Formats: sequence, C-alpha cells, structure tokens
Amino acid sequence: MATQFHELRERLLRAGVAPRHVRRYLSELTDHFADLTEEEQQAGRNLVEARSAALVRLGKTENLAKAFFEQRQFQSWCARAPWVMFAFAPLICLGAAYLVACLYLWCGWKFFLPGVDTPFRTLAAPSNSLANMYFQAGKFYYYSAPVLVGWTIGIVAARQRIKAVWPTVGLVLISWMGATARIQAGRTAVPRGLGHISIDFFTLGSSSQTISQSVSSAFLILTLAILPYFVWRLRRAFVPL
Amino acid sequence: MYGYEIVQAIRGRTGAVIAIGEGVVYPVLHGLERDGALRTRRKKVNGRSRIYYSVTPSGSRRLADLSRTWVSLTTAIQAMLRGAQYGDAIP
Repeated sequence: MATQFHELRERLLRAGVAPRHVRRYLSELTDHFADLTEEEQQAGRNLVEARSAALVRLGKTENLAKAFFEQRQFQSWCARAPWVMFAFAPLICLGAAYLVACLYLWCGWKFFLPGVDTPFRTLAAPSNSLANMYFQAGKFYYYSAPVLVGWTIGIVAARQRIKAVWPTVGLVLISWMGATARIQAGRTAVPRGLGHISIDFFTLGSSSQTISQSVSSAFLILTLAILPYFVWRLRRAFVPL
Repeated sequence: MYGYEIVQAIRGRTGAVIAIGEGVVYPVLHGLERDGALRTRRKKVNGRSRIYYSVTPSGSRRLADLSRTWVSLTTAIQAMLRGAQYGDAIP
C-alpha cells in the first residue's frame, strides 16, 4: 500500500469504515494515483512534480475521507454495534466452544470409559495411551478457549482501530465466564442410561476457596487474553506506525 | 470502465466544467454498486488488478428515471428564466 495513503487509511479505520472497504478504496486510489503520475509525466513533468500534481488531482486526504464517512453503509458492525461485536458475540462464541468441549468429553467418556460413573477420574491408562492423549487434548482445548476468544477480540479491535472500552469489556466478560465455567458429568439413574453432562457459568461458588480460585483464574485468563492487544496498543502509543 | 477512465470521461464530456477531486468518485461508485446500479469485475492489466465498472439493467432504469427528472426540472427552470424578462424588478 502506498505510504501517501497511510493517513487516509488510519482515518477511515478510526471512523469505523469496514477494513474490506478501506482496502479496496486504497487499492483503487493507488492505481488511480499511478495513472495520474504517468499522465503528468507524459505532459513533461519530472517524477517528483508529477507525483505531487497527481496527489493534488486526487484530492485532499480530508475530502477523500469525508466522501466515505458520509455513507454509513460502509461502516463495520464493530463501529455500528460495538456492544454486540465485543460483549455479546464473544460470550456466544465461548459458549459454543464449551458446548463442543462437552460433546468431546461425552464422546471420550462413551468410547474410553464405558460404564464408569464420571469421566473426571484418574485414568489408569499409561500417559502415552490414546485415551490419555484424547482427554489431555480436550483439557487443553477447554482451558485455551477463553484465551483464544480473547485474542480474537484483540485482533478485531486492533484491525479496526476500535477504542479500548468495548474490547476491554468483552475481555473482562469472557475471563469471568471462563473462570466460572464448571462442568458436571455423571450417570443418570436410568439403567443403561447415557451420561449426563452440564455446564454452569458466572456463579462464583459459595466457599471462600472457590471464590478466590475463580477470581485468580479470571485474572490469569484476562492477563493472557489481553496481552497481545495490550502490547499492540503500547506499540501504537510509543512507536508511530 | 475503471475509475481513472470514468473520471477522464466525465472531464472530457463536460469540457472540464465539472472538476472534482478525482479520488472522491470511488465512494460514489461503491455506493452505486451496493445499491445494485453498477456491477464490477476485476481484470489484470499490465500487472495491475483493475476494477472495471459496468451499469446493470436496474442501473440503466435508474439513470433513465433520473435523466427524465433532470430534463423536466431544467426545462421548468429555463421556462421561468425566459418568463423573467417580462417582469419588473421590485424596488
């Protein structure tokens, strides 16, 4: 992307224009700029003069930006409804990820531990067995899901130059949801019945130990999830891009 | 036509009376495309991927409607201006 349009790109993104529209606009402007430069050179100007004349003909950055701001249809959903994109949607995504985790656990329970009352028991199988690897992979997925959702929030917020408020709200919510998620699994009283798996969110528990565990987990998840976004913001604050 | 050609065509046909910052044509083109009045296709020319715009049937209808409105409006204004020569200026 031509450097002369860097300021325009930043303005458009900060104003909430969707990145795909910004990308296309800048690519067309870059082509147009090249055509104008060529035309000016053919008219006898040297390269430097031709480039500056081309920029004048293309229009001032504020006019180029204004032409896009006036059309609300090009705004991204993150700018139109940030509470949906950064607070509501991540919770739904994390909920869906936990649903997959429950399904994964149930499949493992059915195939590797048939007849056992709960899948949450120490496996007698060696650590390199398929069953052990299966459950470890599930555990990894379960614990990493809120962090991955948090990273996605950070990437989307950084890509669209969103102010820090809504991404931070989203990160706090998914950290809280991740830290308070509790899976219960047990056999039903029905003979030869299927196992029953349920998951709870947002309840801190009654004992002080559970509460402090949840709070420290939430803090850990938040730290891991916010880290890339925090580093990106620090970099933007101190290093002009 | 792609953006640069469109701007040159506007300039050529209007005898450069309509001179705009050439870059501002793109948001308008994008808006018309979104409304279904234009369609685009990408074409690689001399190593550059250009976006060519063409008018859709719905765009042609819209153009015809707007042209009719414009012609009737300008006719009415011209008629008013012709009539003004018979009037007296109000002191």
